[in-house]
Amino acid sequence: MLEWMVWTAPTALVFAGLALLLAGMAVWARISPPVARRGFLRIETDRGDRLYIGLVSAAVVLAGWIAVSDLSMWLALALAVVVVLVIGRWG
Amino acid sequence: MSEKRPPEVKRRDNRAWWLVLPVVLSVAFTAVIPLMTVVNYSVQDVFSPNDRIFVGLEWFRDVTRDPEVRAAFGRTLLFSAQVLLVEIPLGVAIAATMPRHGRVAVPAALVVVALPLLIPWNVVGTIWQIFARPDIGLGGWAVNRVPGVNFNYTLDATDAWITVLVMDVWHWTPLVALLAYAGLRSIPDPYFQAAQIDGASAWATFRHVQLPRLRGVLTIAILLRFMDSFMIYTEPFVVTGGGPGNATSFLSILLSKIAVGQFDLGPAGAFSLLYFLVVQIACYVFFTVLTRSGR
Repeated sequence: MLEWMVWTAPTALVFAGLALLLAGMAVWARISPPVARRGFLRIETDRGDRLYIGLVSAAVVLAGWIAVSDLSMWLALALAVVVVLVIGRWG
Repeated sequence: MSEKRPPEVKRRDNRAWWLVLPVVLSVAFTAVIPLMTVVNYSVQDVFSPNDRIFVGLEWFRDVTRDPEVRAAFGRTLLFSAQVLLVEIPLGVAIAATMPRHGRVAVPAALVVVALPLLIPWNVVGTIWQIFARPDIGLGGWAVNRVPGVNFNYTLDATDAWITVLVMDVWHWTPLVALLAYAGLRSIPDPYFQAAQIDGASAWATFRHVQLPRLRGVLTIAILLRFMDSFMIYTEPFVVTGGGPGNATSFLSILLSKIAVGQFDLGPAGAFSLLYFLVVQIACYVFFTVLTRSGR
């Protein structure tokens, strides 16, 4: 049935990870509701907003890296994770 | 009121959220699942569902380093920048000269200004395709009457670019003008009277009374025009088809050439996702400005 979607293991893992992340955020919000605040992004965000901004920024980092650098994409991924964490914590 | 609150107030009933379900399902069906498929395509070389090779991030590397894609990206950015530079000041200028009062004048001005917005994209393209022709189009014919000018948008890259740009200005400046007009109309008359009493010149009135009050609508106008011009497809497709050469092949035109023309679904998938990323960022900024202004 899903044959036409031409799934691969890596993309399935990525989407499963994203789904888990969102489910985790929902559970976390249930346990302790998010509080909006201002960080270095200078707009009022709660942790869901910051996760979204972080993920989009991570995508920009990965795209920029692959466009200009021949170094390993694992380094780019590490940098992207750092970006997500920094924005999530202080953004 | 009694000191103890009735328990019903504390109990939260969230069952109404189920009413969102049809939207979730239809968005999943029309957007999320197709997008996931695009992601799957972008990491493979697909010949058929049973005959495909995993290539990792190879298409992303190819697409981001392809000189043609980079040139189209630069061209699209330049086009968006020029669109904003022309349409925003021009729109504000048109709005400032539109009548503020009058039973006939205001509706008449609004209708005249809004007319280009009512015309479908491909018709706008067709109108300009003919209007700008040097042989049978009034616009192209008139420009060629200027001494020393040899205008032909099907042969000359600069002429083609100018034609597409002027067409976009013709089509979309009215949107900026209407937004700016709405912003100007929301300024109460006493502001203008006060400026008049202080002896402010027309420019000073514009600079210190009108412009600051246009900030909100202009932000919206800039973001809307950026997104639309960055995704422009139909009009240049109809007028120039991306030519002459590659002169007006913007990102969307190049993308459709790769995806539909050459049927290279892998590279087209990677291309689409990168394009989507840029548009996504613009949309988020737009959304943030709209929902958080005034906070």
